[in-house]
Amino acid sequence: MNDNLDEKLDNLLRSRHIEPPSADLAQRIILKAGQSPQTKPMPLWQSVRELFGEFHLPKPAYVLASALVFGILIGLSAPQETYIAAEDGGAAIQSFLSADEALL
Amino acid sequence: MPVTWPDKEDNELLALVQDGSHPAFAALVERHSERFYRLAYRYLQNREAAEDMVQDAFLKLWQDPRKWQADKNAKFTTWFYRIVVNLCLDWRKRKRPVALDEDMPLIDDQESADQVMIHRQEQRVLEKEIAALPERQRTALNLCFDEGLSNQDAADAMGVNLKALQSLIMRAKTTLKERMKAYL
Repeated sequence: MNDNLDEKLDNLLRSRHIEPPSADLAQRIILKAGQSPQTKPMPLWQSVRELFGEFHLPKPAYVLASALVFGILIGLSAPQETYIAAEDGGAAIQSFLSADEALL
Repeated sequence: MPVTWPDKEDNELLALVQDGSHPAFAALVERHSERFYRLAYRYLQNREAAEDMVQDAFLKLWQDPRKWQADKNAKFTTWFYRIVVNLCLDWRKRKRPVALDEDMPLIDDQESADQVMIHRQEQRVLEKEIAALPERQRTALNLCFDEGLSNQDAADAMGVNLKALQSLIMRAKTTLKERMKAYL
């Protein structure tokens, strides 16, 4: 009984109505594609160039930005001793304060 | 007259399309447009909309053929089924559901008037019930019954495993059997 129902349903599913497409569907698609350009893959250097081309900064902005970058670089490349000296200074202040407490 | 290139596989044609070959693209369209139209029609129940959908899908392929990657995508048709289905689903989200065609043509002109009426009614109810199924169950049915895809190909097209696809079909058929009782 169930198999019979299955078979009937399968037949019904296979006989579903479909409206045929226009005879020129494929030709229309082909024609339309012929009128629209294909996107070509862009080499990396070219995409970088285009990216930079998008920025139109005035010259002072370039100078300011360069100065900023330069300053950051200088700051980052500061010698390690500076920090040690600062730490030493901190220790000196601590010992001074504890000496002060001892007097009280 | 377009070149059909019967000796070339879809993947070979796609490689040519990626190099900008319009004739190779034309051959792909000639070979597959009707098949994808059928699929789109199942979702949209409207000839113009289904044709537009197939056209959009092929134009997207033409404009950016590198979306197809032979090593990643097993089979062109399986991959493209998914593109067409996604376009149809997007379209349906944007538009109102399409009303079923009242003047649905008949399958067989030799049928008697009563048979014709019954058949027409059956088809209308079937379409209505299929349209009411959950999206994935409907897609599974469309791919397996209309497109005649093997279960494995349909599963690949839907991005699910074979067992999941079989379960989707089984649930769809159970629901349809229940709702179509009067016609079976």
